[in-house]
Amino acid sequence: MAADKRFGYMEQARQALGLVATPFFWLADTPARVGNSLGEIFVSRTELLDENARLREELMLSRQRLLLAESLTVENNRLLALQDASALFEQEVLTAEIINVSPDPYTRRILINKGGRDGVFEGQAVLEANGLMGQVLQVMPFSSWVLLITDVNHVTPVEVSRNGERALARGGQDGDTELDLEFVIPTQDIEVGDTLISSGMGQVYPKNYPVAEVISVHRSPVQPYATIKARPMAQVGSTRHVMLVLAATVQDVPALADGTEGGADEESTLAAIESAN
Amino acid sequence: MAGSVVFNSLIVMSFIIAGLLAIVPMPEWAIYFRPEWVALVVVYWVINNPERVGIGIAWMVGIMVDALTGSLFGLHALGLALVAWLALRLRLRLRLFSVSRQASVVLVIVGLQLLLSQWLQFLFDLPRGTNMMFLAPAVTSALFWPLVWLLVGGTIRSLDLK
Repeated sequence: MAADKRFGYMEQARQALGLVATPFFWLADTPARVGNSLGEIFVSRTELLDENARLREELMLSRQRLLLAESLTVENNRLLALQDASALFEQEVLTAEIINVSPDPYTRRILINKGGRDGVFEGQAVLEANGLMGQVLQVMPFSSWVLLITDVNHVTPVEVSRNGERALARGGQDGDTELDLEFVIPTQDIEVGDTLISSGMGQVYPKNYPVAEVISVHRSPVQPYATIKARPMAQVGSTRHVMLVLAATVQDVPALADGTEGGADEESTLAAIESAN
Repeated sequence: MAGSVVFNSLIVMSFIIAGLLAIVPMPEWAIYFRPEWVALVVVYWVINNPERVGIGIAWMVGIMVDALTGSLFGLHALGLALVAWLALRLRLRLRLFSVSRQASVVLVIVGLQLLLSQWLQFLFDLPRGTNMMFLAPAVTSALFWPLVWLLVGGTIRSLDLK
């Protein structure tokens, strides 16, 4: 029975039960939804005006940055083309709402309100306004489970934005919300405050999205690897809206393009290759 | 006959409410102490109406809970079947116990369910706790047992069933 799941025989039943479960998810989400809409009703006019002004300002700033970014993208693509490397282009996203959180405290998963009917597929990357959030784990007709990067069985291939040092970020034990960097040898240049971005290895996540910020580094002469902790940028607790990356992106690591699904195991092999080099 | 329909729908309703309580989002600190509501309801019905709710029903409810929580298929099913079996074995004694003594037995039953699911999670290499905190829901379940007992029992009495 449980072994069936391992080999994927239960997929049909899971789809059917997922359909039955949809109203449950909707009902269980009601308190949060009612709370939200109450918050929207009981908001004063001045607050709204303030928020409006603030958002307008933010929009202007973002537009200005976007203009700059666009020209940089064009330039970057041209340079990459010169080097014969396939570049990262703009990505389409699908927005979704978080409707539930996994009741099991030891695994980090969220339920979103888009499913197979909306074109969600397994392994799809999920983003939040501040950074990378996770990947789609299980698709049901009207909803899907997303495995967060903070789950203990999830490994994110990352690199330091400052110097391109690569590492693997694994979710913390016992429902910890921080990430542990694995297989970092003490001589690698990673410091507190460094920003970790997705490296695009493993073919699951698009390149160059912010993932986490390094908060502690311990190097000990008796340990083969440094102990490094990082805090994820994406704030699961404070947001309800997430983005699903639609287009499968072209990566510039063709040598590693064999695996279609970048599970933890494949990524650790990648790491083994890396640390051997 | 009409009474039996009402009774069966009451059983279904109780499982639906327990299922909702099992997935309703909770604050971060409370999530480790979420009582096993479905197990409590299973124990209640097995003690009081073993001819309606047995190991088979518990198993099917467990499959539903697995679908709701997105966990490995059979994890809750096996756990709740164990709960139903234990409650069936102990039910004649449990009926004579006071509610507080029942709660202590519930503590053990739910604890065994959690232990079984911990073993299965280890067997299938699923994320799990590395300390004894995984048993915390057994304690809260025992604390909430009197509430379940009074609530479901009260509903049955107010509907004048049986």
